[in-house]
Amino acid sequence: MRKVALVGAGVTRFGVRKASYRDLVWEAGKACFDSAPAVRPRDLEGLVVGSVMPERTAFQSHISSMAAEALGITPSALSARTEHMCASGTVGIRYAYAFIAAGLADLVMVLGVEKLNQPAADEAILNMGTGVDRDWEACYGLTAPPCFALAAQKHMARYGTTEEQLALVGVKNHAHATRNPNAHFQKGATLEQVMGSRMIASPLRLFMCSPITDGAAAVILASEDRARDLTDRPVWIRGTGQALDGFTLTSLHEDYAHWPAMKRAAESAYRMAGIGPADVDLAEVHDCFAIAEIIAYEELGFCEKGEGGGFVAKGRSDYGGEVVVNPRGGLMGCGHPLGATGVAQAAEVYAQLRAEAGPRQVPDARIGLAHNNSGMGEHVVMIYGREAA
Amino acid sequence: MAYFRAVDPFPLESADQNKLHEFYEYLAADRLVTTCCGSCRRLAWPPRGFCPECLSDHFEWVDLPHEGTVHGFSIQETGLPAGFRAPVVFAIVTVGGLRIFGPVVGADPVALRVGDTVRFAPIRVADDSKGLARHLVAFAPGARPA
Repeated sequence: MRKVALVGAGVTRFGVRKASYRDLVWEAGKACFDSAPAVRPRDLEGLVVGSVMPERTAFQSHISSMAAEALGITPSALSARTEHMCASGTVGIRYAYAFIAAGLADLVMVLGVEKLNQPAADEAILNMGTGVDRDWEACYGLTAPPCFALAAQKHMARYGTTEEQLALVGVKNHAHATRNPNAHFQKGATLEQVMGSRMIASPLRLFMCSPITDGAAAVILASEDRARDLTDRPVWIRGTGQALDGFTLTSLHEDYAHWPAMKRAAESAYRMAGIGPADVDLAEVHDCFAIAEIIAYEELGFCEKGEGGGFVAKGRSDYGGEVVVNPRGGLMGCGHPLGATGVAQAAEVYAQLRAEAGPRQVPDARIGLAHNNSGMGEHVVMIYGREAA
Repeated sequence: MAYFRAVDPFPLESADQNKLHEFYEYLAADRLVTTCCGSCRRLAWPPRGFCPECLSDHFEWVDLPHEGTVHGFSIQETGLPAGFRAPVVFAIVTVGGLRIFGPVVGADPVALRVGDTVRFAPIRVADDSKGLARHLVAFAPGARPA
């Protein structure tokens, strides 16, 4: 397989945006091209768009062609949309990676975009239910919060994880977001504010959950030769893994605090990259809810199973600790525009490994990990490096 | 232009829309059933159209017990989708060795505990766009009256 690198990345401002779906495509595309002056739209051979529900939010399908035309790209090797709920963006990056690694293309953009906010807020939440099994779960009004609440309850009962430890994930990620001008939330949140925010699904309170956010992000992937021509600091894809336990809640492991698919996806990525958890300098993990980040510390191997609550409380996942988790502010601080999230994670790793992350730069960052999930049973892990191997 | 809506979050349950329509017909008759593989006798939840173990697509409907125990539950207090009203007690209930998802309707959220006994109590939801009644699996607190 050929080596593949990121050679450009751009993100829009995330938030409740006064912008259409197409506006967001334009903004992310332009930001990405601006970051890679040697690449023009006509140079790209492909476009993959990660997007979950434009049929409901923008009454638009046929997304990759719409976005290609909006951006002035005329694909000659690859044009596709990836839909994999919350992990759609990273799944798109894997597609582009595989095409380039296999020699079927040399230069491909991956763009993630979602316009989730709607004139009626409860319709935006109804739309989120399309990612849940309609016949057996979504028909009761189930969306993500009660599912992750089951994991949080189990983790607390089994390992003694506390509400304060869950809240500290929110405090850390909101603090990180204050240093990210593109984040949905930029005011930070104190422990008291997080602990006092309203209950969504016990024990998860508002500031332990990611919000409904609009946004887009784009990255450009290149084959080794093209990457070295286009930039003096490519960011290499060193490893990738994906695994699935199940779709419906009743098909997952009966201990909802145990996510074996995440461990399997991480093991695949570590093996491919030839590194281990201790080598990771920064990790963009899928903190859709505080408990997800705590379980991620464990399943990604940053600490032992059950120690995730203490890991955040002791500052081991913050600047000065062992691995900086979610330096851009995570999904809780930046928001979670589904298809855009995985691509924005890649864009953050790109900036960090090029030492371009400004006030949130992780010192001497060499290895960055990105983890994206769709529910508790489906996980994707990417490992990026400053060096090719 | 009038806004026409033919689909909603509830399943289309009728025979002309769904090969598992008998499941819903049993539900309307207050019976909880699932598919049993006609070849290897494996029981599935949710019901399924073919058996991934032996690949048989011959299945029988078998009755499940009307009582189960709460394996886990979560009470959502706000942020329900359009058309749904909080609070909802979302539960995983162990029934005859299977884990089944459904709401516990009429539960006192403060009193409900993991391990509690709940009983099968199907609910009627909005009719489909052709006016046919639709039902879903649900549970109620406590054992089934003798």
